[in-house]
Amino acid sequence: MSSKPIATSRSATGIPTGRLAVWWVLASEVVIFGGLLASYVMHRLGHPEWHAAAAVTNTWIGAFNTFVLLSSSFTAVLAHQAAEHGDGKGAARYLSYTILGAITFICVKAFEWTTEISHGYTISSNGFWQFYYTAAGLHALHVIAGAVIMAFVARDAARGRELHRVELIGIYWHFVDVVWIFLFPLLYIAK
Amino acid sequence: MAETHHPNYKKIYLTLLVLLVISIAGPFVGIGWVTLITAFGIALVKADMVVQNFMHLKWEKPIIRYLLGASVLLMILFYGAIATDVQKHEGKNWSNDAAKAAVARGIPGAHHEGGAPEEAAPEPAPEPVATPAAAPAEAPTFDAAGAFATSCAPCHGAAGAGDGAAAAALNPKPANFTDPAFWSSRGDAEIFKAIREGGAAVGRSSTMPPWGSMLDSTRTAAMVGYLHTLKK
Amino acid sequence: MATTTVDAHAHDSHAHEGPKGILGYFWSTDHKVIAQLYLWTGMFMALIGGLMAYVFRMQLAFPGKPVPGFGVVSPVEYNALVTNHGTIMIFWVAMPVLIAAFGNFLIPLMIGADDMVFPRINRLSYQVFLLSAIVILASLVVEGGGFGGAWTAYPPLSANPAYNLTPLGATLWVVAVALEFVAFLLGGINFIVTLMNARAPGMKAYDIPMVCWMIVIASILFMLSVGPLIAGAVMLLFDQTLGTGFFNPAVGGDPILWQHLFWFFGHPEVYVVLLPAIGVTVDIVATFSRRKLFGYRLLLYTAVGIGVLSFFVWAHHQFIAGIDPRMANIFTVTTLLISIPVIEMFFVVFATMYGGSIRLTVPMLWALSFLAEFMIGGMTGIYLGSSGSDIYLHDTYFVLAHFHYTFFPIAIIGGFAAFTYWFPKMYGKMLDERLGKIHFWGTIISFNFIFIPLFILGGLGQHRRIYNFQNFPELAPYQPLRVVATTALVVMLLFQLVFFWNLIKSFRRGVPAPKNPWESNTLEWTADSPPPHGNWPPDQMPVVYRGPYEYGHPGRESDFWPQNVPPAREA
Repeated sequence: MSSKPIATSRSATGIPTGRLAVWWVLASEVVIFGGLLASYVMHRLGHPEWHAAAAVTNTWIGAFNTFVLLSSSFTAVLAHQAAEHGDGKGAARYLSYTILGAITFICVKAFEWTTEISHGYTISSNGFWQFYYTAAGLHALHVIAGAVIMAFVARDAARGRELHRVELIGIYWHFVDVVWIFLFPLLYIAK
Repeated sequence: MAETHHPNYKKIYLTLLVLLVISIAGPFVGIGWVTLITAFGIALVKADMVVQNFMHLKWEKPIIRYLLGASVLLMILFYGAIATDVQKHEGKNWSNDAAKAAVARGIPGAHHEGGAPEEAAPEPAPEPVATPAAAPAEAPTFDAAGAFATSCAPCHGAAGAGDGAAAAALNPKPANFTDPAFWSSRGDAEIFKAIREGGAAVGRSSTMPPWGSMLDSTRTAAMVGYLHTLKK
Repeated sequence: MATTTVDAHAHDSHAHEGPKGILGYFWSTDHKVIAQLYLWTGMFMALIGGLMAYVFRMQLAFPGKPVPGFGVVSPVEYNALVTNHGTIMIFWVAMPVLIAAFGNFLIPLMIGADDMVFPRINRLSYQVFLLSAIVILASLVVEGGGFGGAWTAYPPLSANPAYNLTPLGATLWVVAVALEFVAFLLGGINFIVTLMNARAPGMKAYDIPMVCWMIVIASILFMLSVGPLIAGAVMLLFDQTLGTGFFNPAVGGDPILWQHLFWFFGHPEVYVVLLPAIGVTVDIVATFSRRKLFGYRLLLYTAVGIGVLSFFVWAHHQFIAGIDPRMANIFTVTTLLISIPVIEMFFVVFATMYGGSIRLTVPMLWALSFLAEFMIGGMTGIYLGSSGSDIYLHDTYFVLAHFHYTFFPIAIIGGFAAFTYWFPKMYGKMLDERLGKIHFWGTIISFNFIFIPLFILGGLGQHRRIYNFQNFPELAPYQPLRVVATTALVVMLLFQLVFFWNLIKSFRRGVPAPKNPWESNTLEWTADSPPPHGNWPPDQMPVVYRGPYEYGHPGRESDFWPQNVPPAREA
């Protein structure tokens, strides 16, 4: 039903158009998150007194969320494998596990943040917290957006349609996971 | 589709989990550089494993690797050049005193759950460069004197004599609140309107800006009240 | 999926005629319609930006006097006008016209594709762009007025409403700029992927017309440089609205960080708009010199080199901001270095013209004047790029005249060059040449009379962003120069009426345009004027046999050789 132009099916580079586009999106995300995190590192290294605030973040919650995201990446790549074998229903099932992981991540984060805010650590408390909420918040927005798009892809895949998109949303999802892989030590382990 | 390169995803996933455990355990060893390696070194390894195997960069065409490499290099350039200005707090002929003061001050009134209380840090966030009329969450009463000092004094002078730093370049000069002639030539209503809507609204110089977006009626009235105290 | 074969049947399923009704235009996914939307939105915003300049220049020439059509200009309004003039001209005129409008129109046509590879994302990018335009215009009329902290928006002025007095205006300004960034990220990815993947069979990388390369390289530059500023815009927004202190030194923030975030993007940004203008110029000059481009690969690699180098010069905007002098030394060297590849590109264009059979059509006049005027801008940049002389010249009108001698050629001259050149293809009519020449000369001559006085004033020490120079005894006597500049601006604005008259006349009674009025080689001239939906019938998509600049090929009768004409068979 989607009437694609002839242009979309061409591939002078040998890389399918959709996948090429996702990599470009990721390149732009690298510089966005890179800019934010580099700014954070500059301040964190220049302000050793922030360790008093950094000590408050709960490493166990952070670690659990890391485990959740890694597992969701695992299920996402299994979805890709299933899609390649033409198993749309299997791909949709694995994608739904990934979405479950995303929801878990957001719920844990919500619990974590409400706890911290109720103890008086808000975004305007001091320099550490403003970066903490901004960086983790930007990441969480990407988690939510990714989960929403993934739901649409899963719905199509379950009907055996547009299976190539399973790989594409997967690549995006792994990137979201990689950002967290760096956020975890920056915000939780580095005390 | 030529995507037949599927490594053993389960093995990679389990390796990632093991690395996660190590990175959590690292700080417990208590040695600084060990934590650095277990936290950030492992983060790099994990990221690399995810990118190469889950995102299939290992089998992707080289142009994608160049693209990602370029963005990462750019971020290294970004950090390297700017940190010399922002992370460091002094250099050749310059010194960032505000940052040094912040470091010395520590985190004021840190509400710790069982952490060691901060040394000194007596007063809450000291009077910074701003926070006048637009009161932050805590200030219950409006500090008209403080607002005057921050926003009005640059033109009207610290004592309201129309001799602030900017007054030198202005013609007509800013109003002189210490001069009886000022008070005999206009009433409070006109002063109130000039503050909220700007000088042009009362037929005077438009260099006097309208503060209505920052000061509601109550605060404006407080400012007028403060101006009365400047009378000689 | 990795194939270059033409998939004919995929096209028929969306065969339909042009957009239906006004709403149809905003819902179309056809790259040509989206190009029109960007073009006319950009031209409308240019009118707004130009009128803003009229108002504040009238204030400068006749301080305190009511400006006809506006009234008395207060200092607060002056700041808002100056700020938004700059912001609008860069983000809502130069970029949408040069990159989005012509990129959208030309890229699929010039590479022989039927549309962009992601038509719906293309539509989304325009919609986000339109939203950003509405937000920036709204910011001008909300309570408190428009943001007046200059297009560079340095904190604490931009972050603290107590200083800028425009809490709503400042926040909407940041939101508008951020939305514009998102729109161009979306659009840029479309351009890049389309150029990389959707080329006609036979079109190798070095067969792509230069303007397409330039727009795509510009999109890549934009994408890689805007990231940190997007992060910075979020930080600024939070400082404005949530009470954070990213840029507040009292709580451990650093205003210099904003400057770095801004200029890390801001400098590559000027090359983001320069490269497409050069691309347009190159294509026009080649066509109207009837000569092969002097050094295609040289030009291409130079453009890439400029792109890379542009990431290493940004702190020349901060020489007197208190950065470490040793950093200033490094940035002086890199800044002076970058002038070399730029002038080298100009040499390529001159060498292309040398020995050619020049046709002085209106597009050619615009392209040549771009070269001349931009050179003045570039040469004056040398004084600013050297940190020593910049100590005196920073923030004076010398800087202002320098960047208008670069931006005006890029956006306005480049815009008119592209518009007059591709008008026949876009609308199927020819523009009137005589009116075009009158418009051209009127604009160019008055342009110089605006900014040469401003160079002089800058050299005399006149600072930027000041409302009334009568307050400065040492500068007040030079008021006649300011009056000259303002008068020239009014004259220039009046000459734009000639352009609009030309448009109306040509739309109504213009000579119908043939497919290839300029006898050019590139693929867009093989489609109808204007091209239908899908550009060519699905079974007649072009196939490419040679590069785009085979003019004056020895041994051939005709002095041009279109890319899609099969080689002559051996007799």
